[in-house]
Amino acid sequence: MLDTVREIETPEGIALRLRAAGALPRAQAWMVDMLLRMGVFIMAMIPLSLFGMGGNGLAMLLLFALTWVYSVVCEVWLGGQTLGKRALGLRVVNADGTPVTWLPSVVRNLLRAVDVLPGVYGVGLVSTLIDPYARRLGDIVAGTMVIHAVELPAGQQVPTFAAVPLPVVLAADEQAALVEFAERSAQLTPQRQEELANLLTPLTGRNDTAAVRQLIGHANWLLGRP
Amino acid sequence: MKQERFVALHSREWDILQSWLSALERQPKRTMRQEQALDFPLSYRRLCHHLALARGRGYSHEVTDRLQRIVQQGHRVLYRPPAPRWHRVASFLIAGFPRLVRAQWRCMLAAAVLFYVPALITLVLMQLRPELAHTVFSSAQLADFEKMYDPANKHIGRNSGTDMQMFGYYVMNNVSIAFRTFASGLFFGVGAVYVLGANGVEVGGVAGHLNAIGYGGPFWRFVVAHSAFELSALVIAGGAGLQLGLTLLAPGRQRRGPALVAAGWVGAQLALGAFAMLLAAAFVEAYWSSIAALPDVLKFGSGALLWLLVLGWLWRGGRAGTHGA
Repeated sequence: MLDTVREIETPEGIALRLRAAGALPRAQAWMVDMLLRMGVFIMAMIPLSLFGMGGNGLAMLLLFALTWVYSVVCEVWLGGQTLGKRALGLRVVNADGTPVTWLPSVVRNLLRAVDVLPGVYGVGLVSTLIDPYARRLGDIVAGTMVIHAVELPAGQQVPTFAAVPLPVVLAADEQAALVEFAERSAQLTPQRQEELANLLTPLTGRNDTAAVRQLIGHANWLLGRP
Repeated sequence: MKQERFVALHSREWDILQSWLSALERQPKRTMRQEQALDFPLSYRRLCHHLALARGRGYSHEVTDRLQRIVQQGHRVLYRPPAPRWHRVASFLIAGFPRLVRAQWRCMLAAAVLFYVPALITLVLMQLRPELAHTVFSSAQLADFEKMYDPANKHIGRNSGTDMQMFGYYVMNNVSIAFRTFASGLFFGVGAVYVLGANGVEVGGVAGHLNAIGYGGPFWRFVVAHSAFELSALVIAGGAGLQLGLTLLAPGRQRRGPALVAAGWVGAQLALGAFAMLLAAAFVEAYWSSIAALPDVLKFGSGALLWLLVLGWLWRGGRAGTHGA
């Protein structure tokens, strides 16, 4: 398994897989958020400028909301996604994989003030590069992490061949290796398939294409197909 | 059991759960009212059991990945955060926040010392040697202060602008300072110490300079009311920052990671309380403090009342017997 995947055991006794998002997609999401907020502010300034000095005050309040409140409100109400994160398919979760709650979201967004130093997210970048789950300082203190929300496509299907019973009993991990070979065979070149299948000549007693077909047949038998 | 048979037995069940979860993402309210919502925890746990079986029996990725996806989706739904309750905000502000401040009294005391001692020293020094004002502030700043607190000005504390404008300005400016004070505490507390000290010198400097040139009257009349909220909130935000930095330096009988997470929770609550105080301060500052025409008795009376209120709230708020929780 890749090292940025964090496995968390749930109360049901199974493992959740959280795929940590690195600095680049997060920076892109931040850029989208930034442009959005700038757009909203500029659009709001047009009607607010009609109110004169008082409009200035309202603009200042809006700026405050966009700077400090926007991220927290979005993260808590939109299931851990600001609009930028939604566009990039990212999500903020608590350490136990549940959607982020109020206080952790407040902590990570207040400590953004530290992560942006010096210049543009210097501390945050260093922290994401060092941490195994690419968390910035705010995430570490809040106990949250940013993950890819979009699941990977499910595994390839095993091609359907006539089932061939195995001549010997294989251990569980050997069976798993055989099925995985059959699953991935579509992604390999025929030469590579044959090269791998030839390693198992003692089991199949065949070579090249025939060996590949027989192994996939074994895999079909293991899956319980007719 | 072979994989094909397992899938044939349960596949329909998985599809039903999957389609219900997808519908939930599109129309949360309507889907939650369906009868199926009552069965969700049960069917989710059954699915988890199936995933565990599939993993244990070494079924192929086709099955385990499919189940894993439904589980990830279901986990988010089953363990979603509770809906926010407004009365919890009220009970936090009335009882929880003062209790938290008292629980961190050491850091709060340190923050108060770090802020008030430099402020008092600067204030006194300015009386003894008024020319020191020019080392602390530039002449443009000094001219600005003098204009703001000129006894002839009928809107004290500002050069121009309406109440609304100044309210927005105070919120943006003061709350950002408080939040940064808290956050900068993460640098081993150094940031918080610096911000507290620098603000102490600045506040003491302004007060001392205006007092020394004889504009003390309008200045004290202006600040007495809102300073109760504003200065206390700054000290509390600084204390929250110190608390965070100290936890990083000396986590006590805990590992640094969990200790920092706990300190972050406490700090965030303190920062939120400080935010509420600063909103109150900005309101008083923009709409009450700036009125110059009121008599001294009213100005200083209201100021004393607010100070008593804030200190009393922080000292007694949320004591046993006085709160419902």
